[in-house]
Amino acid sequence: MQQEEEAILRLTEINKTYEGAVPLHVLKGINLEIRRGELVSIMGASGSGKSTLLNILGILDNYDSGEYYLNGVLVKDLTENRAAELRNRLIGFVFQSFNLINYKNAVENVALPLFYQGVSRRKRNKLAMEQLDRMGLADRAHHLPGEMSGGQKQRVAIARALITNPSIILADEPTGALDSKTSRDVMATFRGLNEEGMTILIVTHDPGVGAQTDRVIRISDGLIVPDNEIITSSR
Amino acid sequence: MIDLFREIFQTLSNNRTRTALTGLAVAWGIFMLIVLLGMSRGVYNGFASNMTIDNARSISVYGGFTSKAYKGYSDGRRISLENGDIGVIESENRSHVDQVIAAKTIDTAKVSTPRDYISDNIYGHFPVEAERGNLKIISGRFLNDRDLDQKRKVIVLHEQNARTLFGDDVEAVGQTVTLLGVAWQVVGVYAHDWEKSTYVPFTTAMFLSGNDDNVSDMTVRIRNVENEADGEAVENEIRATLARAHDFDPEDLSAVHIWNRFTSYLTQLTAMSILDYAVWVIGIFTLLSGIVGVSNIMFVSVRERTHELGIRRAIGAKPRSILVQIVTESVVITTLFGYAGVALGMIVTGVIAYLTKETPFLKDPTVDLSIAIKVTVVLIVAGAFAGLFPAIKATKVKPVEALRDE
Repeated sequence: MQQEEEAILRLTEINKTYEGAVPLHVLKGINLEIRRGELVSIMGASGSGKSTLLNILGILDNYDSGEYYLNGVLVKDLTENRAAELRNRLIGFVFQSFNLINYKNAVENVALPLFYQGVSRRKRNKLAMEQLDRMGLADRAHHLPGEMSGGQKQRVAIARALITNPSIILADEPTGALDSKTSRDVMATFRGLNEEGMTILIVTHDPGVGAQTDRVIRISDGLIVPDNEIITSSR
Repeated sequence: MIDLFREIFQTLSNNRTRTALTGLAVAWGIFMLIVLLGMSRGVYNGFASNMTIDNARSISVYGGFTSKAYKGYSDGRRISLENGDIGVIESENRSHVDQVIAAKTIDTAKVSTPRDYISDNIYGHFPVEAERGNLKIISGRFLNDRDLDQKRKVIVLHEQNARTLFGDDVEAVGQTVTLLGVAWQVVGVYAHDWEKSTYVPFTTAMFLSGNDDNVSDMTVRIRNVENEADGEAVENEIRATLARAHDFDPEDLSAVHIWNRFTSYLTQLTAMSILDYAVWVIGIFTLLSGIVGVSNIMFVSVRERTHELGIRRAIGAKPRSILVQIVTESVVITTLFGYAGVALGMIVTGVIAYLTKETPFLKDPTVDLSIAIKVTVVLIVAGAFAGLFPAIKATKVKPVEALRDE
């Protein structure tokens, strides 16, 4: 474990239990550190707790104990308003099912995070156009999501994730709904962004995706699997 | 702010049918409210234009038949009011009686000119009748004291009758008509919604009826009365005075008929304000069903858009901004369609006003600016309430769950 200042995200002993008739202890003390500029993947079987972990990392869900620092800010027991603000400024989300708003065109979708920052319409549309251009989608700017291919939609979603210039991009199975060629394109896009210095964390169950990242973190039964065990247990 | 409305219009136009149906319920509610308010205003205006508190301070008395035997007289005796009663009532009830005037009907007489004739009621009357009866003189003048003193043969016509007799209501003044075989000079023409009688001086009418001292009715103008109890007290005083003069039982209510305009004015005034309240209540409840509709639709809309709201939350929408957006959406729907209802209601009341122009008791049944302002306040408050609960529900959903909802 390196303790350098470049750690952009640090989890210490994160525990999460879902209360219910039978309480479900999903995360059993997660320790994790991601440095600025890393391209990391989290892999795990379904039920391993990776979705819960992603939700906690994305400040979409709370945890019971432990500490989560994001960009030097302790993310714990936040009000919904504060959480929304941190999500908006520090995190860019990319989802498996794109999660674009279907009645808004590409520019409007990309610009939406800035709407919640109170940026003027003209300025945010200009910034959104720049991001779309960066994704090679300038000619699709005024198309609705329904008029675009899966790969295009995912690149619109990536443009939306980038527009607030976040500290980290969290991608949840970003290639899960795409064919293999498009998947490779999207992964190439992620690698390109990473080379420009963006920190990216991809949650996936696809080893092919994992193989294209700098570091693979495996999660199993609510715990991070140490690196040495990975070598013995996989392939 | 403009951005927020842009967002809202995009959402609303994305769900046109739903928006239109929701709006229709509100528009209908407001439309009903406006029409009802307009009609009640019309009834009120009709009432107010014919009656004011000043000319309502009067009591009219008519002759009748006794229903009780009294002082040796059997019942069923006819009581006729006489010219002499005027002075008796005036002198015996000084504190409450301002003036007593009487009217004398000239029966079965027709007023004619070479052009045409009329056979409306003809009254011998006093000058104050113009003010009391709310007669608007549109040409010439009404009867005056000199007409009565000199028992002049002058006559005042309703505008419609003047047109019948002379073809023109203004030209009529100064011309002569024939009544009871003698010539009379027209001195004035008046306008009134439903009163169309012809007026001549009271003294002239009494003189022409010869030895008969009876008068048709008397009107007592009263003063120093403020409430219903005062009004009834004066009514009883007048009955008692007449009972002494004509020897009938003061408890006998049919010996003379008394129409107390003052107390009936107060009663009508109460009825009017009750009508006004009732209309607001009915209108608000009609509107309420529209509002409940809006609220329902907003619930559905919020449910349908859970996923979208989840996306918005994930990319940084605060619960507050979601709340503001949904409440504003609701206010926009209610206000927009509410105003469509207001406009439609204004048009319909305008048409009703036009169609009922000639109808008495309904005058200018339209709503004014103050009502429009009240309605605006009602709409905004109602819209906010309709949106509030669905909006609160929307913010209660966790972003994770919202995103999972497909």
